[in-house]
Amino acid sequence: TTAPPADPDAEIKIRKKRAPALKLDETLLLSPAGIPKLRSYARSSTHLKFKGKGHEFSDMGRLLNMYQLWLDDMYPKAKFRDGLAMVEKVGHGKRMAVTRRAWMEGSKPGRGEE
Amino acid sequence: MEEVWEKSQTVDPEVRAYVYSLVNAVGGSSTYDDTYQVGDDAYAALQDILRWLRLYDEKLNRFDVKRCLAEANLVQGDLLEILALWPEEAQNHTLKSKLALACLQLLVPLTWPPELEDDKTTVNHHRHLPYLQLAQVGYKRAVLHYEHAKILRTAVRIGLPSMVQPRRERSNRDEGIVKLVLYLFRNMAMITQPQMLPAQGDENEVSRSATIDAFSEQDVFTLLLTVGSGANDEFQDQDVILLEILFHLLKGVDAKKLFMEQQQMQHEETNELRTLMQKEKAMHKSYNRHAPSRHNRFGSMLWVKREDQKMSTVTGQASIVDGDATLLQMDHSKRWNKPKYRGKQTAQTSEQADFGEKVELDESARKHLRSFVEDFLDSGFNPLFSSLRKAIERETDRVGEVHKRQYFYLINWFLAAENARHSEAPTENVSQDNTFAYVAAVLDQETFVLLNRHMQRSLDEKSWVDLQATLLAFTQILLTVQTMAKSKDEDDQEIAENIQNRIFYEEATHDRIVQILRGYTNQGLAYLDAVTECVHVFVRMLERYSKQNADLHIRSKRRARRKSKKSQTGAAPSNTDENDPENEAAEEDDEREAHTTVSERKFDFARFSAKFLSQTCVNTFFALLHFHADLTPDQLKRCHRYFYRLAFKHDLVLLLFRIDILLLLHRMIKGPGGLSPEVEGFKEWEQLVQQVFRRCVKWTEKPTGDGTAWREMCVVEMLFSKVPNTIYYLQNGYERVVERR
Repeated sequence: TTAPPADPDAEIKIRKKRAPALKLDETLLLSPAGIPKLRSYARSSTHLKFKGKGHEFSDMGRLLNMYQLWLDDMYPKAKFRDGLAMVEKVGHGKRMAVTRRAWMEGSKPGRGEE
Repeated sequence: MEEVWEKSQTVDPEVRAYVYSLVNAVGGSSTYDDTYQVGDDAYAALQDILRWLRLYDEKLNRFDVKRCLAEANLVQGDLLEILALWPEEAQNHTLKSKLALACLQLLVPLTWPPELEDDKTTVNHHRHLPYLQLAQVGYKRAVLHYEHAKILRTAVRIGLPSMVQPRRERSNRDEGIVKLVLYLFRNMAMITQPQMLPAQGDENEVSRSATIDAFSEQDVFTLLLTVGSGANDEFQDQDVILLEILFHLLKGVDAKKLFMEQQQMQHEETNELRTLMQKEKAMHKSYNRHAPSRHNRFGSMLWVKREDQKMSTVTGQASIVDGDATLLQMDHSKRWNKPKYRGKQTAQTSEQADFGEKVELDESARKHLRSFVEDFLDSGFNPLFSSLRKAIERETDRVGEVHKRQYFYLINWFLAAENARHSEAPTENVSQDNTFAYVAAVLDQETFVLLNRHMQRSLDEKSWVDLQATLLAFTQILLTVQTMAKSKDEDDQEIAENIQNRIFYEEATHDRIVQILRGYTNQGLAYLDAVTECVHVFVRMLERYSKQNADLHIRSKRRARRKSKKSQTGAAPSNTDENDPENEAAEEDDEREAHTTVSERKFDFARFSAKFLSQTCVNTFFALLHFHADLTPDQLKRCHRYFYRLAFKHDLVLLLFRIDILLLLHRMIKGPGGLSPEVEGFKEWEQLVQQVFRRCVKWTEKPTGDGTAWREMCVVEMLFSKVPNTIYYLQNGYERVVERR
């Protein structure tokens, strides 16, 4: 029943700590891979190009694909629909509300880029 | 043999021995011809068995004796045989009628559906329950299809002498016998093959159709009609049992189909089959579009280049040419799922109380049931339902929680049936007599009060099934009133006008419906269907009604902040008798009243319908639309109307600019798994979705502000539900200008 004496020379195994699982929360959404990236898509003209009248479905299809790839980059674990629901839920938080409000203020004419 | 019984400890061997010996003493079949011989002391033996049931099973809260009786084949082997020995000619034979009653007394508890309350169930119950449920199915089959005699008819005969007595002169014993007979019919209607247990392959013999056929052939329906039409006076105490019987006979039956002629019915069914086959074809088509064109080990693999030098790999040939298929494949290959809600609401309600499921009847059963329902509407509906309403209002002992639900469900069912009959035969009895008088008992003010109160209560208590039943009843009442208003008879029109006035006068009703619509979370498709239909009918009717009557007033509750004033004035007297509880209670009431005063104001339809167009309401309708593959054309149309109203009549299309909603709309039209182009109303949907998409694109490209800030904001806002006070800005690109004086 006695435990074997500890060998002082034995190598101490250091187990690598697993990185905590990525959580879809406000921090992630506001990190560079999150909404800021999406906003940069909207700035560049390559991502958000609409053909306009007569092409509604293909336009929307492209828009949806853009969101899908963005979500996959940010939070690869979730399927598109699940991910969207989770993002939507995070949007109810206080911090998100404040940030959204600020973005909205920024889009008002005359106050755009400072 | 004995060892087996002792080893398997299902039942105490001594109990089993006693019960078996009693069953043996009841009687037995002859060995050389097939006649049944009643035992010398059969009556005493039957009484003893009953005593065992009461004093052992019920007192100790066990199922042991029932189990033994099921194993000993008492019902099929003895009870039915004895009942068959009592022929119609020997109605007055005392011993035989006595024996028959004793059999009935045993049959009822044996077929009684086992109700398990959570806190009282024991291991013993769970051990015996499946066996007993299957045994009951066997009992039902035996009773309905017994070949030598009509068992149900014999039961009717047992009840008749007691029923003939006027109510005042009926003894307790007589009342008991009538109840016993009715409970037997209830049990027969209620027993179904449990879904979780293996069937013996003859469900048809215990199906609803078989029950209805047997009830019709063996004169049970006639008895029910008698009881129903006498529910006001002669059979007051039996109304609740009759309610149960009707509920279990009618739940899930389509009232509209019941009143179709056979040819029309066949036509309808062909149509149904056609739409189903269309659906299937569309499903295959959408699958084939993405299906591999070569064998499954062909093994093509491709990568998707993404930005920042990232690559994703996807397998399968379908992805090579089709970009959307690639993304779809990427999505499908993910294995993680968002944890689903697992709460109380997803728990299965008991099979027998459920009324969401559809039941199909065969031709003969349909005919029998139809004639019964017609007779019942003509004679029994009003007495029964007014008697029930009174019983519920008085909170009589015989009314349980379940019965209220059944009451409202049946209101819905019979009104639908009356409607179907009315529209089916418009030429026959038009204007001769007032057909709406047949259902007048549920269109009076008292019923509305009860309905409203019950709806509010089940909403407060979150008992969704009850709420669903009240919603169904409310919807059907609205529809009935609607057809009444269209009637040529002036009296009908006037009555309808009055009822509509009453319904729409109370703003509390309007607010409650909104609250219910907003409160949807996880209650399932049947509930969702009831809620959205109610809203649909209600809003459309109010719209029409407010157009006709320009100066409509409603009674609304206003909050008045008079509390501070009250406390100031009330300060002086309250000093004198501070501790008087009565006074305090009165003060509380005063306070409550001070907060809400009732005032009348002009009804404003725009304001009213705007209440139904909040984001939460939209979410509820989208929850319904998520089931689009299973929805009927009617339900799809309902959704379409709602979104059309939202997007184009009220200009709130902004609420639809959310990626998950857009995704669903896109999938519905373009697939995979979308609506079939042949389905009714597909064109309208396509147009609607196209318009929504066009507006969405326009919205993001609105030329406001400097640079791309507007677009950036749009892209973000499309992820989330919109906050109410920013909606105006998002729609227009500028804040609302509020004039200040």
